[in-house]
Amino acid sequence: MKRSIIILAAALAIASMLAACGGSGGSSSGGSSATTSRGPITIWYSNNPQEVAWGKQVVAAWNAAHADQKVTGQEIPAGSSSEAVISAAITAGTTPALIYNTSPASVPDFQKMGGLVNLSAFPDGASYIESRTGAAAAQYKSTDGNYYQLPWKSNPVMIFYNKAIMQKAGINPNNPPLATYAQFLSTARAIVESKAAKYAIYPSPASEFFQSWYDFYAFYAAESGGKQLVANGASTFADAAGISVEQLWRTIYAGKLAGNEPYTGDSFADGTAAMELAGPWAIATYGKMAWGVAPIPTSGGMKPTAIYTFSDAKNIAMYTSCKNQATAWDFLKFSTSLAEDKALLVMTGQMPLRANLTKVYPAFFAAHPPYKLFATQADRLVEVPNVSNSIQAWQTFRDAWTSAVIFGKGDVSASVTKAAADINKLVSQK
Amino acid sequence: MNTSDTQRMPRWRRILTMTLLMLGALVFLFPFYYMVVGALQARRNPSLSGAIPWLSNLTLSNFSQINSAINLGQSLLNSAIFTGAVVVCTIFFGVLAGYALATLHFRGRGLLFAVVLLLQAVPFQLLMIPLYVMLVRNFGLGDTYEGMILPFAINSVAVLIFRQFFLQVPREMFDAARIDGAGEFRILRSIAVPLVRPAILTAALVTFIGPWNEFLWPFLITKKQSMEPLAVAVANFTQTGLAGHANPMGSILAGSVALALPAVVLFVVFQRYFTQTHASTGVKG
Amino acid sequence: MPELQRKAAAAPAPGGQRRWRIKRVLGEHPAGLLLSAPYALFVAAVFVYPLGFGIWMSFHHYFFTAPGAVVPHPFVGLKNYATVISDPAVRASFVHVGEFLIINVPLTVIFSLLLATALNNAIHWRGFLRVSYYVPYVTASVAMITVWMFMFNSGGIVNRILGPLAPNPAWLVNTTWAMPSIALYVTWKQLGFFILLFLAALQNVPDELNEAAAIDGASRWQSYRTVTIPAVRPATTLVVLLAIITGANLFTEPYLMTSGGGPNGATTTPVFLLYQKGIEQGTPDVASAIGVLLVIGVLLIAYASRKVTERE
Repeated sequence: MKRSIIILAAALAIASMLAACGGSGGSSSGGSSATTSRGPITIWYSNNPQEVAWGKQVVAAWNAAHADQKVTGQEIPAGSSSEAVISAAITAGTTPALIYNTSPASVPDFQKMGGLVNLSAFPDGASYIESRTGAAAAQYKSTDGNYYQLPWKSNPVMIFYNKAIMQKAGINPNNPPLATYAQFLSTARAIVESKAAKYAIYPSPASEFFQSWYDFYAFYAAESGGKQLVANGASTFADAAGISVEQLWRTIYAGKLAGNEPYTGDSFADGTAAMELAGPWAIATYGKMAWGVAPIPTSGGMKPTAIYTFSDAKNIAMYTSCKNQATAWDFLKFSTSLAEDKALLVMTGQMPLRANLTKVYPAFFAAHPPYKLFATQADRLVEVPNVSNSIQAWQTFRDAWTSAVIFGKGDVSASVTKAAADINKLVSQK
Repeated sequence: MNTSDTQRMPRWRRILTMTLLMLGALVFLFPFYYMVVGALQARRNPSLSGAIPWLSNLTLSNFSQINSAINLGQSLLNSAIFTGAVVVCTIFFGVLAGYALATLHFRGRGLLFAVVLLLQAVPFQLLMIPLYVMLVRNFGLGDTYEGMILPFAINSVAVLIFRQFFLQVPREMFDAARIDGAGEFRILRSIAVPLVRPAILTAALVTFIGPWNEFLWPFLITKKQSMEPLAVAVANFTQTGLAGHANPMGSILAGSVALALPAVVLFVVFQRYFTQTHASTGVKG
Repeated sequence: MPELQRKAAAAPAPGGQRRWRIKRVLGEHPAGLLLSAPYALFVAAVFVYPLGFGIWMSFHHYFFTAPGAVVPHPFVGLKNYATVISDPAVRASFVHVGEFLIINVPLTVIFSLLLATALNNAIHWRGFLRVSYYVPYVTASVAMITVWMFMFNSGGIVNRILGPLAPNPAWLVNTTWAMPSIALYVTWKQLGFFILLFLAALQNVPDELNEAAAIDGASRWQSYRTVTIPAVRPATTLVVLLAIITGANLFTEPYLMTSGGGPNGATTTPVFLLYQKGIEQGTPDVASAIGVLLVIGVLLIAYASRKVTERE
C-alpha cells in the first residue's frame, strides 16, 4: 500500500509538471493579421425567444448582402452559468467572434484572461461607441481607458405595481405614493395589512453575486444621484445613501413586507407580490395585467426626471479567438445601426443604449407610451463598476447584505463598513 | 430469498414489518407522486388539497408547453446516446477491471485499487476546467458525443461493485479451473462472465443514473441546443425560460417528470432480475 | 531457508524459464494487466492529468487565459493554502460538511441495512416496495429539488401539516435547519443506492449459517447480530466509505436548493466554494487549494473509518 502511494504521488507530480508545460505555453494566435482580415464568423446570443428572433433576422439581413462573410448565429443559455460557459470557452479558444450577451460585470475578468479584443484599436472604435451611446459610454471603459465592450442594450430597473392590488388595499391605483421612503413603507404596510397581497414587493433573496443589482444597487443609484459601487478604486456605498438604503430594506424584511425565501416562478405575475423591480423586458410578460410603473423611491423624494437607477445592461464583446475581426467589427456596427436598434426595441422591448432614445425614435414611443417611461429613465443609468475582481466584490457585498439586511443580524453600519473595506482590498488586487 | 427466516417470524411481526415497509414506501414515493400531480395541474395549488389530483384541474398542457420550449424528443435521444454509451463501456471494461482487481495478482494491482478509491474522493468540479480545456482545445471534442462521454466512460463505482462481487465468489471455482489447465481468458469467458450477470444489472443501474442526470459537464461541453441532453435542457429551462408561462411550476415539473420517467420505467422493468442465485451453488457437489 | 525453498518451488521446470521471469516482473497473473489496462488508461487520461494540473495550480498564482495570452504564473508556494485556511468562510464550509456527514452517514448505514434486510425478507409486494425505495435515487436532483423546495417552503405542505411546530423562518432559509434539511433530502434520495449494495450482500449470506444459529438456539436478533451483520461487513465498509466520500463532495444539492450558500452562508460546502471561486470568480488557484485540502481530509477520514469498520 505504501509503495502504491509513493508511485501514485510520483505520477501525479510528473503529470502536473507536464500539465504546466502544456498549459502555459501557447502559440500566439492571429496577432495583427486578424484585425484586418475578413471572412465567415460565428456569433452567440441569448436563448430568450425574442432575442433569438431578433438575432436571426439581423443575421439573415447581413448574409443577404455579404455572401463571402457569412455569419452563423448560435444560442447560449442566458442563466447565471453563462459566465462559466464563456470563460471555459475563452480558455479553450472556442469563443465565437461576438457574444451578444456579455455581462459588464464579467468584462474585467475576461479582459484579464486575454479573451477580449480592444475595440478602441479599430480606427473608428471609440468614436463609433461614443457617438452612439453618448456620455454614458464612459461607464463602460476599462481601467486602461479603452473599450473592451460595446454598450448594447439596457433594461432600466423601475417599480412595477399591480393596479388591482393597489385598489384592493385602498391606495390610488393611478398614482400610488411611492416617492419617499416613508411613503413607500406606508404603502407597503397597507398592502400587506389589508391582505390585498401576501407581500408588498419580492426581489429574489438568493445569495448569487448578481442579485444585489436588482434591489440594493437600483435604490443606491437613485439615492446617491448616480454613484457606482466603486469609484476611483474605493467603495462608495459606506456613505449616508448606502446606509439609508440598507436600513430601509432591513425594515422591509423585518416587517415581512418582502419574502426571505426564493420563489419559484414570478411572484408579481402570480399576485403574491404587489410590486416588482424589473425592466421593460417584463412588459411583454405582464401584458394582460393592469400595471403601472414608478421610479425608484429616494429617502427625501426627488423629481422623477432626476432619479437614477441600475441599467441591467447587456453588451457585445469581441473575442480574441476571432480570426476575421474586420468582419466582426463591421457586423457589430451593422447590428447596432439605427435600423437594427429599432428592430431590437420593437421585437424585445429592451432599450438600445443610444443617447436620447425618445428623440431618436419618436414614432415608436408615441405609439407605445408604457415604454416611454423607461426610455426617459434610460438617460440616467448607473452601471456596475469596471474593476478587477468585480464578481468577487459583488459576492462579498451580497453575503454581507443577506446577513445584515435579509436576516437582520448585527448592525447595518458595521456590516456596510466591513464590506466596503473588504471590497477595497479586492479591487486593488490585480 | 430468506424464506426460512421469514417463516420463523411470528405472524404479528410479519404484519408489523410489512406495514412499516409499506408506510415507508409511501413516504418515499410521496415527493415523486407530488411531482407528477404538479406536472398535470393546470393551476398551481400549494395547499394540502393540491396533493390530490382533482380531475377538474388536470391537463397535459404543461408537457406541450415545455415541449415547445425545448425539443423533448431530441433531448431524450441525446440523453439515451450519452447514457447508453457510458453503460456499455462501463460494463465491458468494468467487468474486466473488477475481475482482475479481485481475483488476479499482478504488478500494480494495489496501485490501481488505490486510484479507484482516490478517484471517488476527488470532486469533479476540481477537474472540470482542465478536463474541458484538454478535451476541447487539444482534442477538438467540443459539442460532440465523444466529448460528453469521455469523462464518464468507465464508472468507478461499477468497478468497485464488480470487484466486490468477485471477492465474494469462492476462490476454489477459479483455482479448480486453473488446475484443469484453463488459460486466464478462458476462465474469464466461461466462468466469471456467466456468474457476474446479477452484478451487471446492479452496476448498470448505478451507472445509468450518473450520465442520465448529469447536467454540469454536458452543459459545459455543448453549445448547440440540438446536442443537449434532457437534464441540461430542463435545468436551463428552469433558470431562464419561465417568463410568460401561465403555470411555470407546472412546466418545470413536467420537464422533471419527462426526465425521471424513463429511468423509473427502466428500473421497474429490470428490478425483477436483481434476485441473485447463490454463488455457493457453484461449489456444491 | 524457507525463502529459497519457496522460490525453488515457484520456479517452473526448465523450459518454462521465460514464463517464470515474466511472472516475477508482472505478478502471478500477468493477464490481469491486460484486463485492467483499458480502465487504467482511461483513469490516466481523464483523471491524472487534470488532477495533476489542479495540484500544480494550487502552488502557483494562476488564472485561466485565452490561448496565446502570455501571462506569468509565478510559483507562490503555500500562499494559496494559507489564504484558504485563514478564510473563515472556507473553515465554515468544512464545518457544514462535517455537520452533514454526522447526520447523513449513520442514518444511511442504519436505514439502508434495516430496509435491505426487511426487503430481503418480504415476500408480498416485493417489486412495488423495491421500486418505491429506489425511485428517489433514480430521479435527477434537478427534478426532485423543485418538488422538495415546494413542499418545504413557508407555505408548503410540510409546514401546513406541522402547523405551529413548523420552524420560523421556514426550513431552507433557517440558519439552524438549512443544512439538516439538505442532509435529510440527500439521505432520502441516496438510500436506494445503498439498499441495493446491502441487498446484494445479504443475498450472498448462505441460509445455512442462519439455520445453524437457529438450531443452536439463538434468537432472531442474536443471529442477526452475530451472523448477518458480520457477514455483510465488506458491504458495510463500502457503504460507509462511499457515503463519506460522496457526502464530502456535496455540491449539487446546496447549489440548487439554497442557491449561493444559503441563509447567511449556512449551507456552503467546500466544493461549492471551489465552484464559486474557481469557476465564477476566476481564481482557480485558490479553488484548487481548497480541492486538495478536501481530498486529503476525505482520504484521512475514509482511512480512519475503514480501520474502525474492519476492526469490529
